[in-house]
Amino acid sequence: MKFRCERDVLVDGLSTATRAVSSRGGALPVLSGLRVHLEGDQLRLTGSDLDLTITVDLTVAGDTDGEVVIPAKLAVDIVKALEPGAVLFETEGDEAKISGGRSEFSVNLIPAEEFPQLTAPSAESATIDAAEFADGLRQVVSAASNDDSRPILTGVLLAPEGTGLRLVSTDSYRLAVRDLPGATLLREGQTVLVPSRALNEVVRALGTAEKLSVVLDEREASFRVDGVRLTTRLIDGAFPNYRGLIPQSQPNRLVIGRGPLIDAVRRVKLMAREATPVRLTMREGSVELVAITQDIGQAHEELDAHYSGAELTVAFNPEFLLTGLEVTPGDEVSLETVDSLKPALLRSTESADFLYLLMPVRVS
Amino acid sequence: MRLVIARCSVDYAGRLTAHLPLATRLLMVKADGCVAIHADGGAYKPLNWMNAPNRLIESDGVWTVTSPKGETLTITIEEVLHDTAHDLGVDPGLQKDGVEAHLQELLAANCEAIAQGLVLVRREFPTDIGPVDLLCRDADGTAVAIEVKRRGEIDGVEQLTRYLERLDRDPTLRGVRGIFVAQSIKPQAKVLAASRDIDCVEVDYDELRGIESNVLRLF
Repeated sequence: MKFRCERDVLVDGLSTATRAVSSRGGALPVLSGLRVHLEGDQLRLTGSDLDLTITVDLTVAGDTDGEVVIPAKLAVDIVKALEPGAVLFETEGDEAKISGGRSEFSVNLIPAEEFPQLTAPSAESATIDAAEFADGLRQVVSAASNDDSRPILTGVLLAPEGTGLRLVSTDSYRLAVRDLPGATLLREGQTVLVPSRALNEVVRALGTAEKLSVVLDEREASFRVDGVRLTTRLIDGAFPNYRGLIPQSQPNRLVIGRGPLIDAVRRVKLMAREATPVRLTMREGSVELVAITQDIGQAHEELDAHYSGAELTVAFNPEFLLTGLEVTPGDEVSLETVDSLKPALLRSTESADFLYLLMPVRVS
Repeated sequence: MRLVIARCSVDYAGRLTAHLPLATRLLMVKADGCVAIHADGGAYKPLNWMNAPNRLIESDGVWTVTSPKGETLTITIEEVLHDTAHDLGVDPGLQKDGVEAHLQELLAANCEAIAQGLVLVRREFPTDIGPVDLLCRDADGTAVAIEVKRRGEIDGVEQLTRYLERLDRDPTLRGVRGIFVAQSIKPQAKVLAASRDIDCVEVDYDELRGIESNVLRLF
């Protein structure tokens, strides 16, 4: 195999495909490598940990076709370190020569025949507005769980809602729901649970793309944007019945500027050490934020706000509250509560397409 | 255990020579023959001592302790202020931190709190470098070694790695995988565990004990 490619283009391609490469090593050492396949001027880079596969197609100046597997991280590091300009990639026996400027590296290859044959789902593809989908994903993926012991909660539910698409995630402490009206991706009644890790990579790959092509079958989902395709296994199992968790009416309602509240939570959070909650005391005309950490000190801040309801103190995990505020759109948000132990509903006063439900923390 | 409080001076002769001038000190003579001389300060280290095996000869006002290596500890006693002996019996050994031991006990009784389908084989499963906290089988029948800590740090991952290496030599356990369990696990420990194919699980001690947690859940 032999080809020539601009360094920056090759670095982008290698880095993107390497994001799916297993960091664990694991039972298949070949998965620590990237498959490099050249046919004419078309170079295809593939990285996979068997759950997530990322394929990047690049146009290069091809000379000799071939297929090899190179150590992924090393290849990225080498190409990134070369001088700007053209990079020559050439294989000879069990070695790949990577050269650029006056530098030359020889890298031992990994036997290519051990690389698994990966298939993409074969169902019909649908096209969706990339910016809107990325926006929706950014709002929900942070509420998905990182705890692999509860795999269902590590995914984002994609479900049809009315004439659009609904994205839902929860880690059992909070729930994020985003509606994308008009986005048709699923058949009626079809729902899929996509690992949030894969969707994070989808967001990253989307960049400024306008359209995203999606293929969903029973076991896999594939997302294609420009020259990048991400294929992920779907999570098998029943997603919690989230609809029953969303309260229909809350007697207390705080309306406040989103920016000032984010800034205040960030400041007060400095005194909320080791899972210490931030307490919000809501009363007519204002909200008071307090964080107290034993033996360290306390923080206190008062903000102007509109509040209707009985005076109430509710405590939240500051990280979870901040994440919710950051992903809620608009300049003004409402925080609706029942009491200090029931879920609080955070949403924009300007849009009904997104909601963030957050459980309080019990304080004495 | 014999405890003597006495005004004494002490001379040691062996690898070097050392002298403790006349003062009031505690002399401990343990059942195994160890002799230790303590001052009224410091948590654990005696001023001088002679490990077992050794020979103690008491004569009028002088104790002479000699070891097989030829070391001699001579205690010259001017006045005995207190002299008692107690039978302490067999010591049960150092117990693990209460929370950690209780966590292990709770998880042994409820392995599914760690991962679905886990079944306990044995607590404190012996290996030739010490016992692994829990040995289980998963739903596929694969052996699973579990190390339980209160705080999950890199040391715990290293410890579990050593156990896994030993357990994998046993043909009946070959293919054994590891799970590192703690109330909270440091990010560095998670990275190290992931690089060694060891799963990490954080558990809620209060929840395992059936105590209502302050951290409320939606479901």
